[in-house]
Amino acid sequence: MATILKLDNVSKLYGSLRALDGVTLSLPDNAYISLLGPSGSGKTTLLRVIAGFERQDGGGVLLAGESLDGVPAHRRNIGFVFQNFALFPHLSVARNISFGLENSEGTARPSAGVIAAKVRDIVALTGLGGLEERGVAQISGGQRQRVALARTLVTEPGLVLLDEPLGALDANLRTRMRDELRAIRERLGVTFLHVTGSETEALAMGDSLIVLDRGRIGQIDAPDTVYNRPASPAVARFLNCYNLFEGSLGEGAFVGPAGRFALDAAAAASKGGGPAYAVRHDRIEVRPPAAPAGADEVRIEGAFVASEYTGATQLSFFRLDDGRLVEVEAHLSHRSPAAYGADERYGLVWKRRDALVYA
Amino acid sequence: MQSTLIKPALATYTALFLLFLYAPFVVLAILSFQTGPEGGPQFPIIEWSTYWYRHLLGLVPPSRIAPLPIDESLLRSLGLAFMTMVVSTVLGVASAQAFRTRFAGSGIVFYLIVLGMMVPGVLVGLGMSLVANALGIDRHWWSTAFVLHVVYTFPFAFLVMLAIFNRFDESVEEASWSLGVPPGRTFRKVTFPLIFPGVLSAMLFAFTLSYDEFSRTLFASGRDLTLPLAIYGTFSVEIHPNVFAFGVLTTLFSFALLAVYAALMTLSIRRAKRVALQEEAA
Repeated sequence: MATILKLDNVSKLYGSLRALDGVTLSLPDNAYISLLGPSGSGKTTLLRVIAGFERQDGGGVLLAGESLDGVPAHRRNIGFVFQNFALFPHLSVARNISFGLENSEGTARPSAGVIAAKVRDIVALTGLGGLEERGVAQISGGQRQRVALARTLVTEPGLVLLDEPLGALDANLRTRMRDELRAIRERLGVTFLHVTGSETEALAMGDSLIVLDRGRIGQIDAPDTVYNRPASPAVARFLNCYNLFEGSLGEGAFVGPAGRFALDAAAAASKGGGPAYAVRHDRIEVRPPAAPAGADEVRIEGAFVASEYTGATQLSFFRLDDGRLVEVEAHLSHRSPAAYGADERYGLVWKRRDALVYA
Repeated sequence: MQSTLIKPALATYTALFLLFLYAPFVVLAILSFQTGPEGGPQFPIIEWSTYWYRHLLGLVPPSRIAPLPIDESLLRSLGLAFMTMVVSTVLGVASAQAFRTRFAGSGIVFYLIVLGMMVPGVLVGLGMSLVANALGIDRHWWSTAFVLHVVYTFPFAFLVMLAIFNRFDESVEEASWSLGVPPGRTFRKVTFPLIFPGVLSAMLFAFTLSYDEFSRTLFASGRDLTLPLAIYGTFSVEIHPNVFAFGVLTTLFSFALLAVYAALMTLSIRRAKRVALQEEAA
């Protein structure tokens, strides 16, 4: 697959803070890439550097093989969709959409007829028909999102950057817009780089998923690979579905304050970034305290604290003897929610091969 | 409990405040209808008449009271105020735009600009006339006085625009750039329409401050007098109610200006409301 965007060792400093610390990656053409990072990981900075709103302090950005060094934002042919939409409040929906075509630089400006036709097409594609003459305050949040998208797409950018584009929408609308974003992108065949702080959004949207960790790339992989095999404890933490234990790697076991976890030969220390030991919330089974562990299992004990019922799952919290919390997620598709006694002790058991060990 | 006392107290205070604010003007307005030419600028009103208004417009037979020397000075003052308004507003917008990003020495430059409205006008006017003499430059209302008016009103325009830019959401400009629109065009098509209410306020400040500027103009304007100087000049002989009549007319003119300002403002506030709604949603 052809590469549309290449970042080569890009860094950006704010005073002494390294917002971006040697980011190197390449994005394939015609793909949906999601970029996941907690707040402060530098994800917005990265987008702003790519868009040309800010200049990197080191490294290079290449779009379709050409260096963007010194190229101002308006000549980069990179679209940007803002979290707050940043629509032009003094213009109607139609004028917002046609703005880029009508005001592009010099000879590139298409004729009025061409502009009208393009606007019509994109209005149809984004489902904004009938709203053309409305002011941008007279439409709903979801419609504003579409205007922001339409306004960008109509200029036919080589790459579209989306900075938490669904963050301003309510949960219901967010799920619907996810599907729409994907569908629109597929129709146009342009690469979307979608930045989000939500792990579910990142997993659901991307053909591939980039995890940004304190200004560095934590992992670039297909979403299911990232989910099942996070490359480092930090990535596992962002995914918000792993229990992480600290400790050290000993002979055939991981030893920490929580206990001694025997290792499966196959799972033993393949990844860096630790030492740490990770078990997914939904890989842990809760058993009565008397029940023993099997030969291929690891068992610890904890006191029940509370549980949270979300409909499809039940998330329970157990406190270990050293005070830390372990989360257990039970999928309720084939069972009813369990009732645990407050402060009673239970055995928490998982298969050795389900654990991820970081050296 | 308390608010039952506080509310009437505040209302009385406000009423008194407004009374003191407008009482001098009301007195002026009443006295401007004194009979003429024998009636003087004091109570009681001998007889109600519009004599002094007609006197102002040269519609009464010549008497011992000379007509106010306002026709040329009025035009001068309007011209000067207009020039000052245009230049100060342009400078104010441009410099406030510059202050949106920190630059080396921005702190010092800020205070140097604001100093223009702080320093005593008499001193600046005197200084300007000394400099002009030393350099052999003739003093005129359109040269030396004009420069001082700009120095005086530019900080007001600058501060107004600074406050406007402070609340300005820069992402709309970035959005425009990312759509391929060059910065200059972005300023004209996006930034300027959005800051226009502020520009109007800056214009109003610059115009009114320049229109009745006295102390700076006194030394710097040379032979041809501006309106405030011309009116002050008549006081040194004897005060007649024709000055009051003129005061009423200029005030009406100011109200007309304010009405234009208000009309333009309501138009752009409709836009501002859209912005507010958009921000609320975001």
